[in-house]
This record gives sequence, structure tokens and C-alpha cells, in this order.
Amino acid sequence: MACTRRAFTLAAALTAAAFTAGASLAGEALDRITSENTLKVATDANWAPQSFLNDNNEMDGFDVDVARELAKRLGVEVEFVTPAWDIITAGNWNGRWDVSVGSMTPTKARTEVLEFPAVYYYTPAAAAVHKDSPAANLADLSGKKMGATTASVFELYLQHDLTIDAAGVPSFEYQIEPGELRSYKDSTAVMDDLRLGDGTRLDGMVGSLPAILNGIENNYPIKIVGDPVFYEPLAIAIDKGDAELNAKLTTIVEDMRADGTLSALSEKWYGIDYTSTK
Amino acid sequence: MLYADTVVSDPLVHKPKVIAAMLAAAAVFFTVLNLNGTVFGELMRPVIGEPAEAGYYGQFAIGVVLALLFTLNVVVIGFLKFRLQVVIVWLQLLCLFLAFFYGFNLDFEFIRKKVWFMVSQGVFTTLYVSAISIALASVLAIIGAVAKLSSNGFAYAIASFYTSFFRGLPLLMQVYLIYLGLPQLGYVIDAVPAGILALTLCYGAYMTEIFRAGIQSIPKGQWEASRSLGFKFGLTMRRIILPQSLPLIIPPTGNQFIAMLKDSSLVSVIGVWELMFLARTLGNKTFQHMEMLITAALIYWMLSMCLELIQGRIERHFRTKSH
Amino acid sequence: MNKPVIEMRGVNKWYGTYHALRNVNFTVSKGDKIVICGPSGSGKSTLIRTLNWLESHQEGEITVDGIRLHEKMKDIDKVRMEVGMVFQHFNLFPHLSVLENLMAAPMWVRGVAEAEARETAMKYLERVRIPEQADKFPGQLSGGQQQRVAIARSLCMNPKVMLFDEPTSALDPEMVSEVLDTMVELAQDGMTMVCVTHEMGFAKAVADRVIFMDAGEIIEENDPVQFFENPQSERTRTFLSQILQH
Repeated sequence: MACTRRAFTLAAALTAAAFTAGASLAGEALDRITSENTLKVATDANWAPQSFLNDNNEMDGFDVDVARELAKRLGVEVEFVTPAWDIITAGNWNGRWDVSVGSMTPTKARTEVLEFPAVYYYTPAAAAVHKDSPAANLADLSGKKMGATTASVFELYLQHDLTIDAAGVPSFEYQIEPGELRSYKDSTAVMDDLRLGDGTRLDGMVGSLPAILNGIENNYPIKIVGDPVFYEPLAIAIDKGDAELNAKLTTIVEDMRADGTLSALSEKWYGIDYTSTK
Repeated sequence: MLYADTVVSDPLVHKPKVIAAMLAAAAVFFTVLNLNGTVFGELMRPVIGEPAEAGYYGQFAIGVVLALLFTLNVVVIGFLKFRLQVVIVWLQLLCLFLAFFYGFNLDFEFIRKKVWFMVSQGVFTTLYVSAISIALASVLAIIGAVAKLSSNGFAYAIASFYTSFFRGLPLLMQVYLIYLGLPQLGYVIDAVPAGILALTLCYGAYMTEIFRAGIQSIPKGQWEASRSLGFKFGLTMRRIILPQSLPLIIPPTGNQFIAMLKDSSLVSVIGVWELMFLARTLGNKTFQHMEMLITAALIYWMLSMCLELIQGRIERHFRTKSH
Repeated sequence: MNKPVIEMRGVNKWYGTYHALRNVNFTVSKGDKIVICGPSGSGKSTLIRTLNWLESHQEGEITVDGIRLHEKMKDIDKVRMEVGMVFQHFNLFPHLSVLENLMAAPMWVRGVAEAEARETAMKYLERVRIPEQADKFPGQLSGGQQQRVAIARSLCMNPKVMLFDEPTSALDPEMVSEVLDTMVELAQDGMTMVCVTHEMGFAKAVADRVIFMDAGEIIEENDPVQFFENPQSERTRTFLSQILQH
């Protein structure tokens, strides 16, 4: 009885401590990073090859390497947290983490809640279908059941609601008029439905080219249709309100691009240099 | 067990009509299933020839043979004693289930490599999140139950609002509300405490009803006897009423705990690395999520069975103690 | 002259519109043994339950051990500590052993030390002649034994008055006498007692006064010899003839 009571007290104390800890801030992100000597990075654990758990059950991937490099150049340790994607993109992080290195597209809507210090690479977005599909070009996909990750640029593209206003991105037009749009938790889930057969659950999908290629490499029975539908600039994001951190990250990414670090990382993970649009 | 009559009729599965119906239904089922291309087709090769070319004849032949085997199996099991029946049917269902998993061509080497991490990180997190939550939820439930039974309008209103609200919202929504909503009020809490808070509030609401029913089941005489001896309310509750309602409260609370074990997977959306999160994440790079999902499924199942055993123990303990 | 332990003056009680007690007056002095009888629904149980305020009353005055009972009182527990009560259905605590049932109130309410509480408990268990059952649980005892434990439980608080609410009505017939014997002994030791019971033999043997109630009213209050041999009221006569005819 005494033992359970102690457990109760402990649990209550823990909860109370959790409530008070971190109940402050917003703004001085850079100060926090320096004082805690840690860069807290929000990223997905479920998005190979950008970020995933490797054989040693540690975070690994292109985004993770970029984040490690950022921390190194800031002179601090790095720590990864893995909230759901929609929680990251919703903004208002309240100091729970400092930066998102998650291949985020700097859409107009997102600039209302987040700041984007730097675009660090571009991925072509492509359409894919089951390998048995008769679709030969993008126009064939109009009127079909299309899948995409929920709240992603691919979904916005299919909804004809995508604005990309980052510098250096070629313009694009909407070439697919989906008959039905299905949203998924992540790109793996889209491909899992697509692999079931042509039209079984999906007729096609729009996703990032690297992710689709990765799937094909792992024997997913899917194929790319047509040229990339748009180039997606992918940026580092921070919460609003810390111009100093913003400037610092911009400089660091510029340096990384200039000294070839970014290109090397892209070659390492994709075999292709995605850090510029051709 | 239901209260059995003293007159025993033949087991259902030994009535000729039932056997015939079973045989017919199974034959139709297996025929429609079209098993020509499977291992059964190979086994039947002497009868039906090349399975790929056997067509409807092959399907039908396989269907009839499987139906005969199935019906024979059921009829034979019908002759056995209760306990033996239970054991054999369990084993057969388990084998079918494992065969189903085996059909996925799983990479067992990969599972072997990952399973320890799933247990040390995932099961551990799942268990401690659930355990802390159920403990806090019990405290909340006692307070809620007393408030719901009180004649104080405030207490009753607050408690009934609480149970109505938290039973009325999906748990996932509560997780989001607490994780994203509390910071709006100036309280930034981490993922794990937010998850624990959500589970506690939700299950506290359900368990309030369990505790209320438990407290109400204690006869009025116990209150009167306590009162006539000069016990105050708190003392009566603590020493007389709650100890007696425990045997009624514990079985449904155990069920709640088992349910919570699985519902705790919802906190993976806010980035808690519990079992479900790892199941979805670990196989991601190499597209081996079926392996991880099935492993996690079996781990969840085993955990639940362990908890059921423990619950049975506790129930027996209380049953033997009270008298 | 003895100061009254219990005094009721002009007490009225309603359940909604039902008039349960009508202008009840009576007094219990130290050492009195009073038996209350009457047909079912006559209000005798209600009456005895107002004496430690398990039931409230709306009009009139009830004073117990010098303390007036009313809705806003803070020290009802002080009254209840001094008034032992034995119920028709025993109401022992089934999750506690017999000994723990007896030790509970002295330890938790009076703050008596455990050793002393145990000693007192054993003393009263011997007095009701079941010391060998001390470590059993109530569910393992017969009805008669349970009721004797319940009496002992009340005695452990060393009350100034004992209330009995139909203590033998729920018992199998062969167990009635063991409980009545205990009550008789208690009476002989000088305990102040108020008993609601239909055991007329008990009334004749120990009662100082017998009260007959009907429809919430005290119809007749008399010494037992007068009560049984020369009842004043027609209703008393009818009642007595009904319960004594076999």
C-alpha cells in the first residue's frame, strides 16, 4: 500500500514537473539553443531516404545528415523529435523544438505560421501508376482515383491549390484533373495501396520522385508517368519570431551549398545532385 | 458458464442435418475459394491432373476433399471432453492464424534484428505510459464517482460535464487538443506527459462510471452501520465502502487497462516512440512494414494475455478473501 | 432523580406527504429497558432510527445524552459514539474479520491503541460467547452468531444506551434464543436499552415499559404486567390477540 502511494506521488510529481517545465519562451530560439547547447530538430521518422530509423535504430537519412551538419556549424549537439507532420506544419511550436529539417515546401500558407531561412534542395514531384496501368502520359490520369500524402504539396497540386514562390523554381501548370482524391498518412501508405493492383484502390499517385524511385528499387510494382509535374523547393523551417536564428541558418546553408557539402550529401543519399534545378 | 440443464442432448455437431449442412457449406466455400493454384492443388495432382488446367473440376474436387476433412475434424472434436475441446480448437485456430502470417513471406532475420528494440523501447514506453495513466485515471475516477453521487450541485455538475465531454470525444482528438491546445493557454507540455494526460482524462471519465457503480452496489446498511458507530464520511469511504467495492471495480478496470494498452498507440501521433510508432517506422526504409506490424501485433496480443492472467489472479484473490 | 438519556417531545416526521411520526413524546432514563412494538408500518423502526438521527425529524425536539439533534449540528458523531445500534440485518463489515469489526470503531473513532482495542474486543466476544470465532469473517458465521458479533461491536464503544431495531426478525427460529439470551444478560447488567421487537417473552422478562405504536402514534405506554394483562386501548388488544393467539 505504501509502495503504491509512493508511485502515485511520483507520477503526480512527474506530471506537475512536465507542466511547469518549458512553460515560457517563444522568440529567443537562438538563446535557447546556445544555453541548452542542443539543436532540437523536428523530423519524420517514417520518410526514407530523407529521414528514417536505420539498422542501429538511430535516425538517419539526407535530412538527418543536413540537420547534423547545421548543429555542427552552430557548435551545438543535435536532438531529434518526431511529431506528426501536420503538427510540425501547423506552426506554434512553443519552443518544443527549434527547427524543422524535413524537406518542407515553403508554400504561401505555411509562411503565415513559419519562417523559411533557406531552401536546401529541390525535388522533382512525379506521378506514378501501377506497372500494369495503360496510362502513358499525365493527361491519362485525369478523372482517375489519385492518392497523395495528406496536407502535402502533392495533395495541394492535385487540388490545384499549390503556390510555390521560392526563388529559382521553374513555373508549372496543373496537368492532372483527378476524378477522386484520396489522402494518406505518408507516401509509403500511398504506394502500399497502389501496389495492390491497377485501380484496385488507386489508379495513380503524385509524390516525390526520390521516394517513388526508392519504392521501385524495393520492388514496388509501380512506374513513373511523364516528366516531373513540378519542382518542389525544400526548405528548413523555424517558428516565427527569431530573425537572428533565421539569418544564421541562411548563412550556414549558403556556406554548405558553396563548399559542396550539400551536393555531397545529396549524392550520398540520392545518387543525384538535387541541390539545384538542373 | 451458463447455467446448464441436467438433461444433456447430443452435441449440435453430431446431428445429421447439421453435419450435412456443414459439409455442403464448406464444400461450396472451398470450391468458390479456387485453391487450384495452391499447395492443395499440388497434393491433389494424382486425382485432378495438372492443377493449372483442372478448372472447375479441380476446384470442386479440392473443395469436397477439404470440406470432408473439415467436417470430420469438427465431428471428432465433438466427441471430446470440454477441456480437451478447448485446447484443440485453440491450437487449430492458432495454426491457421500463423499460417496466414506465414503466407506473407516474412523476413524473419529482420524481425529477429528489430524485436529487441521494439520491446526495450516500444513495449517499455507503452507499458509505463499506460500504467501511469491508469493509476492517475483511478484517482480521478474515485473523485468523479464521489462527486457524481454527492448531493452537491456543483460537484455533480462538474463531474457529469467532465464524463460527458471526455466520453463524447474521440481519444485521438483529445490527444491533439491537449498537445496543441494547452500551449495556447501558456502551458507547453512534452509529448509523453500530454499523452498521459489525454489517456488519464479519457479513461478517468469511463472509470468514473465503473467506480460509481461499484460504490452504489454496497448496501445502505454498510453506510448506516458505519454512521451509527460515529465514522465520518471520509473514513467510511476509505475503510468500509471502497474496500468492499474493489472486487466489483477491479474486473472492468482490468479491461480498461487492456484497452488502454492498445489506445496508447494513439499518442504516437505526437511523436512518442511507443510500440505502434516503432511498428510503423522501423520497417520503413526497407519497406518491411508487414514484418514489423505483425511482430507488434503479436507483442500486443501477448501483453494482453499476460494482463488477462494477472487480472484473473487478482479476481480470484478477492473472491476467496471476502468470506 | 435520574437525568433522562433520551427525551422526545412533540416529534413529527413526514416522508413527503406521508405522516410517519405523529406527536411522539417519550423519555428514557439511565438503566431503563424499553420495548417498542406495533404492526408493520406503524413507525416503530422510524422512531428508533431518529434516536441516533439515521433518520431526521421535522418537528419537535429530540435530546440524546444532553445534546439536541438538529440538521445543522456539527457533533452528531459524538452522539452516535454514545448510542450503540443493532440492526435487523446485522450490517457487519464483510471484508473485515470478526475481531477487526470489533476493533474498528474504538481505534478509528476513539483513537484507542490497538492492543487495548483487541483486549476490549476479546472481552466482549467472550461476553457474547463466541471468542473462538475472532479470526473468522462474518460470512462464515451463522445468523445468530453474526448478530451477537454486531451486539459486541456496539458494546466495544462503551455506549450509554443501546438501540435494537428488530434484532431477531431476520434470524432462523432456532437462533432467536441465543440472541435474546445475550440481550437479557445485557439488561441484567444494567444497560439502558430501547428495543423494537415482537418477542413478547423478552418484553415480559426484562422491559420496564412497553410502548405500542400504530400509524405513527404512541397508542399506549405501560409497564409490562399492565400492558399484557390489562391493555387500555382497543387497538392494543387487537394487536396482542393477533400476535399471541398461537
